[in-house]
Amino acid sequence: MDLLLLLLIPLLAGLLLPLLPAGSPWVRRGALAAALLQLLDGLWLWQHPPAALSLSWLPQLGLRLELGLDGLTLPLVLLAALLTAMAVMASPVDQSRQRLFFALMLATNLGLIGAFLARNALLFLLAYELILIPTTLLVATWGGERRAGAAIRFLTYGAVSGVALLAAVLALGWLQPGGLNFSYSALADHQLTAVQQRWILALVLLAFGLKLPVVPLHGWQPLTYSQAPTSVAMLMSGVVSKLGAYGLLRFGLEFLPDAWTAWSPWLAAVGAISATYGALNAIVQLDMRRLVAYSSLGHMGMLLLALAAATPLSLQGVIAQMLAHGLIIALLFCLVGLIELRTGTSAIPELSGLLNPQRGLPFTLGLMLLALLAAAGVPGLAGFVAELLVFEGSWVAFPWPTLVCLLASGLTAVYAIRLFNRVGFGRLDNERADWVSTSWGERAPALVLTALVLVAGLWPSLLTGFSETATAPLALRSSDAVTVIAMAPTNVNSAQLPA
Amino acid sequence: MASILETAASVGVFNTLLAAVDAAGLRGALEGPGLFTVFAPVDDAFAALPPGTVQTLVDNPPQLARILKYHVLSGAFSREQLVAQENWDSLEGAPIPIRSTDPFEVKNATVVTADVVCDNGVVHVIDRVILPG
Amino acid sequence: MTATVASERIKAPLIPPSTHRYADVIHRLEAGGSMLPDTPENLKQIIGIYKAYAVPMDFYWRDLLYIAERVFLNPLPAFKYFISQEYLDRPNSYAGDQSKLRIWRGGETAHPELLEFMERGETGRMPKLLHHLWHDRVNMEFAEACMQAMLWHQGMGGRFNNYLESDAYKANADRAIKAYFKGNPLMLGLYALFPEMFLEQVRQLSYYANLGLFWEVMAPVFFEMSDIYDEGGFKGVPDAMDFLVNGIFAVAGRPIYHHLYIGDECYEIIPKSEGFTWLYEAALPYVEAVFYRTAPFRGTKSYNAQADQVPADQADFHYGILYADLFPVGSAGIPPTLLMQDMLHFLPPYLKEIYREHKRGEEDELIQLGVTFQRSMYNVTSAVIQALRGALLYPLDDTNPEHLMANRRFFEAQMDRFLRPEARLSDIQSQDYR
Repeated sequence: MDLLLLLLIPLLAGLLLPLLPAGSPWVRRGALAAALLQLLDGLWLWQHPPAALSLSWLPQLGLRLELGLDGLTLPLVLLAALLTAMAVMASPVDQSRQRLFFALMLATNLGLIGAFLARNALLFLLAYELILIPTTLLVATWGGERRAGAAIRFLTYGAVSGVALLAAVLALGWLQPGGLNFSYSALADHQLTAVQQRWILALVLLAFGLKLPVVPLHGWQPLTYSQAPTSVAMLMSGVVSKLGAYGLLRFGLEFLPDAWTAWSPWLAAVGAISATYGALNAIVQLDMRRLVAYSSLGHMGMLLLALAAATPLSLQGVIAQMLAHGLIIALLFCLVGLIELRTGTSAIPELSGLLNPQRGLPFTLGLMLLALLAAAGVPGLAGFVAELLVFEGSWVAFPWPTLVCLLASGLTAVYAIRLFNRVGFGRLDNERADWVSTSWGERAPALVLTALVLVAGLWPSLLTGFSETATAPLALRSSDAVTVIAMAPTNVNSAQLPA
Repeated sequence: MASILETAASVGVFNTLLAAVDAAGLRGALEGPGLFTVFAPVDDAFAALPPGTVQTLVDNPPQLARILKYHVLSGAFSREQLVAQENWDSLEGAPIPIRSTDPFEVKNATVVTADVVCDNGVVHVIDRVILPG
Repeated sequence: MTATVASERIKAPLIPPSTHRYADVIHRLEAGGSMLPDTPENLKQIIGIYKAYAVPMDFYWRDLLYIAERVFLNPLPAFKYFISQEYLDRPNSYAGDQSKLRIWRGGETAHPELLEFMERGETGRMPKLLHHLWHDRVNMEFAEACMQAMLWHQGMGGRFNNYLESDAYKANADRAIKAYFKGNPLMLGLYALFPEMFLEQVRQLSYYANLGLFWEVMAPVFFEMSDIYDEGGFKGVPDAMDFLVNGIFAVAGRPIYHHLYIGDECYEIIPKSEGFTWLYEAALPYVEAVFYRTAPFRGTKSYNAQADQVPADQADFHYGILYADLFPVGSAGIPPTLLMQDMLHFLPPYLKEIYREHKRGEEDELIQLGVTFQRSMYNVTSAVIQALRGALLYPLDDTNPEHLMANRRFFEAQMDRFLRPEARLSDIQSQDYR
């Protein structure tokens, strides 16, 4: 029942909020309350692990309402709820057509939570597909100048991803020896042959590679992230991309381990390429949003590397990186959005001297410094913890790709410093500097996220404490990567939540 | 013929100038034998200066002497001789430019009466107080 | 009809209009105006900031003279800003009943607002040492920076600098140094070993005295301008400028000197009899060194010397208030910001009101008042330019076209100094520059 509550909150809020009058401030407050309620529920569930839910829905299709929360999905659920709340706070107070906006945000949230909670592949697929339309509409309606093109491109890539996933899920379900069965418990027994696994893995990689994204399937990402409104960018880069990682972990690593292990060297290479590509492109960007988008691409490459390595440590790194990156990238988009709101532009050549204590945006830039340092992986902040685990865990399995990713991580410092130097230091242009300073309400989401990034950096178990017991069984290589474990993991019982 | 200062006193329009010369302690020098060329500002020239200017100078003899010495050349030169050269070094040290020959202008002052010959030099009457710089 | 034509003929200009980039400003100067446009708000702003500037200036000139005359060559001058009561009470020669040439109607001792600030500062009543260490005091470092600018730029007119190299000065300084360190074998021994070093320090102290005597005049001038404005005596910016011009002339002959006091004895290092005047040896070098030139301030920008980003010719320096860029990042401690912070404490209420209503209100008062200060200093520079024109050239209502062209050339030469891109002359023409 408690699990259903997680889904019911956004569902009800999404249905009821549009009934309020058009300009009412309660729409925004209601959306925020819903997200915070969801977060509280998630935190409660953390302390009181729920029982799995399994209800029959459409048995002919094999569709069962199977929901569960384990150490892998709990942090993602919390992240989704938190970032939804932050995204609502970061949306402008005078948001146009706000009822539709928040309804779509809540629909996205519903899809995300549903995907994370699902323990049935078809249910997962449904939730996954559900996310596509609201996010496209959000970008198309409230986005930047080139939103139409961005939305179309996003929709196209997303549709291909959906179709690939559909094929993969159906294949997975049908090919189960015991008849049509989409439930995770059945899939985790992976009774499929090696050949079957490889075909399905190809589809899975396509589907989630488009979502993460990784090079060369990333074509939609820079444009979409830069054209999306701030709140949407926060949610998309923060959580929706993690859905791709989660999908790879669940559907690739867990359900198709033999194929995964066989292809993991290629995946590690793709991850390294993606990381380098993202970092190098970020260095040359002239628009802050695109820079952050490419930064995200780079970090997702490192995520893929850790997934490919599949040692216990690297999988912990996967979870840590998902959380840390989610927080950091949402924070970065939030701050870039704040700067754009005040100065009217996100073009780097047009901005300088924003650290000016009298007339600039010193508070915002101060937080941005922390965010950029976190993205660069400076110790004491969340990014370092994640990257440390990723590199330590992947080094034993794939030393060369790890080395390349390390260099890419070094490159993140380059664009972080370049961005901060150009935008923060230098001379403030007096003719343009007629904005007011940011209010505490506008700073709130950035403050919360910065605080979390700081705390997680100083107290790493915040990032890893969820998942140690949940990820260890998923590992495909032992800690020293000497033995490759290609055996069926035991059912990851939804009751196994860390206390 | 009379000395420079006697000539000036007799004309009657140099009261301020003579008082200044006394205050600066230059009477002895200007009554001496050495030939001088003096550009003498009339009383109206001193009156045209903003209020307090002359008073401050009179209260400070060394400073006053400096301004007065700027109006004096060593040696007696007539108008013809003066206009032959662009700049003349004053007793004060700073140069006095001859700006124009006809009308005869010395720095930013016009010479209303030139070549007043005296015992110990020549006086040219000017309508403004000239200042170095 | 004929009357109009006749009067138009009378008003027809004797010389053609200027073709300089700043022709508008030049024509305004030729009509007796200032480089700063004549608007009521400009007048309000500059008078307010003159008053806010004059209060710390009252401290500056007193402490500068205190250092030049009393602290002198103290090797550890940790308390040079702890001005003695004697110098706080030292009568300003141009204010108070005792003054021979009274410029300000007020009293001759330190301004009451200054005394109150020295007592409380921004923090509250504390022992003076704590105020000093907390830097909650008048930023005397600004005055010293102005002095150093004058010292470093040296030959900017007048006889002062050449005199500092002369034998007479060296003899005076030698006598003074020996008297100051009488009975101190260590310092006298150092002096014997390094006479030039001590001499250079004395030259610096002479510049302290120079600047102190200069500002002793400016403070009552600014106070009087504020009082006249309060009673409505200024019709516009040209009126304010004319008051400055008259003030410059009135005090032009003031002697500049450097006297050292050891106990009650006076040692004349630069005697009054040398004939140095306020106008030529103090004011004009000050304007040149501090308004136009100064030096690039450390900590605001990086300059690449190899790329000639700092001019090789000192006369080309353009870092004074007339060229200042008022938005340095991380601006703590550089001289203009020190002055801005000083002025912030003494803003009159009408000026505070203007700042509250524009830009970021009370949050960026420092920058707003910095811009106001820049405007006011353009006005002072205009006064200096008009005074120079009055002294060395022809009246504005002269009928001789040759004379008017000479004036025109003079103004154009002055405006040529503002052709470089850093000059703020075009910015101050608009009221939007804040």
